[in-house]
Amino acid sequence: MSSSVVNAAPTAAGHCLCGAVRYRVFAPLKPVSACHCSQCRRQHGALGSYSGGLPVESVIIDGTEHLRWYQSSASARRGFCGECGSKLFWQAMDQRTIDIAAGSLDQPTGLRLARHIFVADKGDYYEIADDLPRFAGSNSG
Amino acid sequence: MSQIRQLPTHGRGRCLCGAIRFEINGPMRDVVVCHCGQCRRQHGAPPGYTQAAWEHIRFEGEEALTWYRSSEKARRGFCRICGSSLFWEPIGTGRVSIAAGSLDTPTGLKTVRHIFVADKGDYYEIHDDADQLSGSMLTASRA
Repeated sequence: MSSSVVNAAPTAAGHCLCGAVRYRVFAPLKPVSACHCSQCRRQHGALGSYSGGLPVESVIIDGTEHLRWYQSSASARRGFCGECGSKLFWQAMDQRTIDIAAGSLDQPTGLRLARHIFVADKGDYYEIADDLPRFAGSNSG
Repeated sequence: MSQIRQLPTHGRGRCLCGAIRFEINGPMRDVVVCHCGQCRRQHGAPPGYTQAAWEHIRFEGEEALTWYRSSEKARRGFCRICGSSLFWEPIGTGRVSIAAGSLDTPTGLKTVRHIFVADKGDYYEIHDDADQLSGSMLTASRA
C-alpha cells in the first residue's frame, strides 16, 4: 500500500471485543448482506452480516498475531480473534478481497442492510420480516 | 402464544468445525436477541440466545472451548479452532445462554424478545413484532 493511502483518513475502522485485533479501511464500504447460510449461523451463533468485496490492500490490520483463520470450505476462510473469539473477516481463497463482519465496525457505520442471501438455509427460530431482496443462494446467482 | 406452546426440552448443537458438541436435556427458553455492543462485536452480528441450566448440558470436546471474561458478571465461550460463538454465561447463576445459531435445526424455538435495542447497530432495523426492551430483561422486570 502506498504511503499516501496510509496517511489518508480511513473510511471506517473496527476491532474485536477485547481490542487485540484492530483494522482500518481505506476504501468505500459496500451495503451489508445478511447471510443465512448454516456456516455463518454456526460460526457467528447468529446471522452473518458482512460488508463485502473490499480490496485486500485497502484493509490494514493491527494485532495480526491474535488473528486466527479457520478454513471453512475449499473456497473460503474466516478470521476471528483468538483472545475473545470475535468474528471479523470472511475471505475467498484467492485473497484478493475481504469481507468485514458489520458488527465489528465502529459506530456509526453509515451503512444499511441491502439484501438477504442463502435464505433457503435460514434457521427456524426467526423470520425475515423486512422487504429487502432475498436470494436463495448467493446474490451472484 | 409462547405461554401455551410446548417449549423444547431437548436440543443438540456444535461449533462450525465440530470440535465442540453438546446436548441439552432440560427446558430451553425461547430466543432473545441481544443488540448490545459487546454481543455485536463478539458475534459480528446481533445474536439470538436460548438458555438452559448448566446441569442439563453434556459436552464432547470441551477442551476446545475457550472462555473470554467480557465483564465482571459474565463470560463468553467460543471454539478456539473455528472461532464459533457458543455460550454467554452469567457467572454463578447455574445457567448458560446458548447461541441459537449453534443448535441443530429444527430447534423448535421462536424469537420472542429483543433486548438492549437502545444500543442497536445503525446498519439494520428491527422489523418483527417481538417485544423490545431498551436494556436487559432484569432492568425491565424492576421497572
